[in-house]
Amino acid sequence: MTTADNDEGLRSEIAGVLASGFATNVFPRADSHEQVQQLVSDLREAGNDLKSKLRISGFTLHPVEHGGISQLCETCMYYKVHRRFCELPELNVPVEPDWSCSLWRI
Amino acid sequence: MANLLWLQGGACSGNTMSFLNAEEPSACDLVTDFGINVLWHPSLGLELGENLQRLLKALTSGQMPLDIFVFEGTVVNAPNGTGEWNRFAGRPMKDWVSDLAKVAGYTVAIGDCATWGGIPATVPNPSESQGLQFLKRQHGGFLGANYKSKAGLPVINVPGCPAHPDWITQIVVAVATGRGADLSLDEFQRPKTFFTSFTQTGCTRNMHFAYKVSATEYGQRKGCLFYDLGCRGPMTHSPCNRILWNRQSSKTRAGMPCMGCTEPEFPFFELAPGTVFKTQTLMGVPKDLPSGVDKSGYIKLTAAAKAASPAWAEEDIFVV
Repeated sequence: MTTADNDEGLRSEIAGVLASGFATNVFPRADSHEQVQQLVSDLREAGNDLKSKLRISGFTLHPVEHGGISQLCETCMYYKVHRRFCELPELNVPVEPDWSCSLWRI
Repeated sequence: MANLLWLQGGACSGNTMSFLNAEEPSACDLVTDFGINVLWHPSLGLELGENLQRLLKALTSGQMPLDIFVFEGTVVNAPNGTGEWNRFAGRPMKDWVSDLAKVAGYTVAIGDCATWGGIPATVPNPSESQGLQFLKRQHGGFLGANYKSKAGLPVINVPGCPAHPDWITQIVVAVATGRGADLSLDEFQRPKTFFTSFTQTGCTRNMHFAYKVSATEYGQRKGCLFYDLGCRGPMTHSPCNRILWNRQSSKTRAGMPCMGCTEPEFPFFELAPGTVFKTQTLMGVPKDLPSGVDKSGYIKLTAAAKAASPAWAEEDIFVV
């Protein structure tokens, strides 16, 4: 299995979990530094449990408009364009460019 | 021959350490090649006790000319404005500073503490520290906004924590060799020759800044440190990536974020927990944007640059 194969498998799994109606904490968004720190801390505690990661970070399969800005993975600082991957160490999961999460930052 | 006196107030001696490591020119070159007579320095001075007092009194009385007065560290005013917490040669250091600044040909503040107050002046500032002519961004400081040395210049501010060794010696040589009038100072009285460009100027990570690829851990060779790790390189005036440290590197080149130590607000956010080495954001957008860039422009630029980034920008291209 290549990295790309692994990524694709996990990406499909995430899409499946979210499409099945799994609820995540989309709001409130992590607007302040303190909120970001809290979420990152919660993610560290969650370790590698995928569903916990998705729930804590408020994953969605679509962009979220917030404060007049469309927050999507494609424009996020943690997004690796060519691998379609979220490089935030506490998440570290493959994504799609039009997904979104509460830890979005530009 | 130019007489130079170096005193130290509320300080850690970091700028002294930096000065003694200078190479172009070195501290020894100042004496042997540029005719600077180092009257006294905290680490080099020989005089003690009454002999030192006599030297200082000869300077303040005008019996001996003081061509260059270098001050490192804050002016300590505590307790209650007396300056008794920092006594030197029989009296509060602040009294010596006041008297010596009046007779100095040039007064040079070295390092953040002497320029803006630095870390000692961080709230709640228990030592009642001030910089020589600034307290953070506020003009005035200990000597007052109208202070000018005998050469007609305000305090020449060479900030940094510490200041780069060669910034120190090159400015000292400039004033010692009669080129003080050629110095052009910015609004914070920093020599423009050093403090007009940005720390980012010459940074090896500029391609990652351009394509918006973020470093996520210290020491990573790929990625820009601005986006997540609190690097202040795009809004800090310094030549740290033009005049390299130890002639070969800089903080950002080594994978550590610039802390903005040449700016008056340093240390930023009063060192509140979670603010050091972490980019402060509001609704996902950095609170402090690169100088001259507005929020709307930043968002558009970032989205476009990210979309256009080539694959190599996401890889470590510095192969050993």
